[in-house]
Amino acid sequence: MITIDKLCYHSKLRYENAGEKFAFAVITLCICVMSRSIAVACIVLAVTGILAVWKGGIPVSRYLRFLTVPLAFLFLSTVAIMFNIKKAPLDLFAIPVGSWYITASTDSFFYALQLILTALGAVSCLYFLSFTTPMPDILEVLRKFHCPGLLIELMLLIYRFIFILLDTASAISTSQNCRLGNKDYRTSLKSFGLLGSVLMIRAISRSNKLYDAMEARCYDGRIQVLSENQPPRKKIIAAIAVFDTALFIFAIWRRFFS
Amino acid sequence: MSKLSKQEKRILALAAAFALTFGIVPNVSAMHIMEGYLPGGFCIAWGVLCLPFLIAGFLSIKKTLNEHRNLITLLAMSGAFIFVISSLKIPSVTTGSCSHMTGTGLGAILFGPSAVSILGLIVLLFQAILLAHGGLTTIGANTFSMAIAGPFVSYGIYTLCKKAGVNKRAGIFLAATLGDLFTYCVTALQMALAHHADTTVGGALVKFLAVFAPTQVPLAIIEGIITVLIVMGLETYAKPELKAIGFIKEAK
Repeated sequence: MITIDKLCYHSKLRYENAGEKFAFAVITLCICVMSRSIAVACIVLAVTGILAVWKGGIPVSRYLRFLTVPLAFLFLSTVAIMFNIKKAPLDLFAIPVGSWYITASTDSFFYALQLILTALGAVSCLYFLSFTTPMPDILEVLRKFHCPGLLIELMLLIYRFIFILLDTASAISTSQNCRLGNKDYRTSLKSFGLLGSVLMIRAISRSNKLYDAMEARCYDGRIQVLSENQPPRKKIIAAIAVFDTALFIFAIWRRFFS
Repeated sequence: MSKLSKQEKRILALAAAFALTFGIVPNVSAMHIMEGYLPGGFCIAWGVLCLPFLIAGFLSIKKTLNEHRNLITLLAMSGAFIFVISSLKIPSVTTGSCSHMTGTGLGAILFGPSAVSILGLIVLLFQAILLAHGGLTTIGANTFSMAIAGPFVSYGIYTLCKKAGVNKRAGIFLAATLGDLFTYCVTALQMALAHHADTTVGGALVKFLAVFAPTQVPLAIIEGIITVLIVMGLETYAKPELKAIGFIKEAK
């Protein structure tokens, strides 16, 4: 149903300690975003990509296809950053339109390039996390960070309900398709409206039943689940620490001394 | 259904007119700022700006749940509903393209803005991790635009229209559409503040607005129409359920 969710349960890194993966992804992500340097972004992109594909066993084609997900946003915003409409041409190139120019400067070109690479590097960090760590494990890490219990509980329930509702929604839209519910634009708009309202009604009745079931099993405001957690391994922690320190020093060196 | 048919026909005619006007809807989802697009300082600043709203939302939810503990499943279902409705493809004229609604306007109308701020945060986190829409570092900025600014405007317009005695459908449509447009403006502002290479912030804002307008403006209008259809559907079929949701909204 949700491709990323499916992939992360199949990942070869699934049974590594969740805290390690989380720390690696988040620290690398922060360094990548803070450094705003092309070199750091390329290193991060390469390392997380290789780890996810080679160690994690995500198919390369899948990985590349996921990297293109944010391309539409990236493309549009880069256009907005790079191009200017001005009366005087800038130094990179200029296309005259009437008495105005569509123009870009070399500075803004490099700025945009750096931004694209940083964004891709950051996205690959995020992908490393989401391709290797199932949501319940991430929630377990958040619990260790003393995230309020109510939030964690809500997230756990929402995560569960997402799949129930997606199932219901796909069944409804299949049956709408069977009955020519999408035969033209007007009908499909109406069908979507009906789908939304029926989904809400189903969700509410489902949630009432679920609460009754929880109550019957002695629910007292806390959902207790056994977490099957792998103990962290010293070697991996050391490797992560070494990599992130090196990356950090490299980022600082790029920023201030070159 | 027959009860509504006349007014529904009118709405559908309106929808069709818009569909013809805004013929092409390219691949668009709601406008999440992608991972890594904002510099570190801005990520933190927007996150801090969200905090008061989130704390207020959290306290309101906590209070509601202390009084009626059985509402937790309903609240969670509402969050999942927002996630699912925003991950479903909404119909667009050209086949093969897909676009998604934000669902926050609908959420604000149904559950009230303070609950939506927390639900929105959770939904955005899930969208970042499960769907790769948005990101972890930009979650503060996205929460501000999509889970706080948009819903508050939607809810404000909705209650205003209700008090002013405007036609209910028109009120819902305006609330959802304008909330969506406001989200889009805030996002453009967030990007302009962070990235204005050779122009002023104002110039950059105009550029970002112009570039995203062709995708976001039709989306907002379609979202408005769909929100009207969903709320009307709920009012026809689900009066008692709506009452249950009212609990979440009332206890503030």
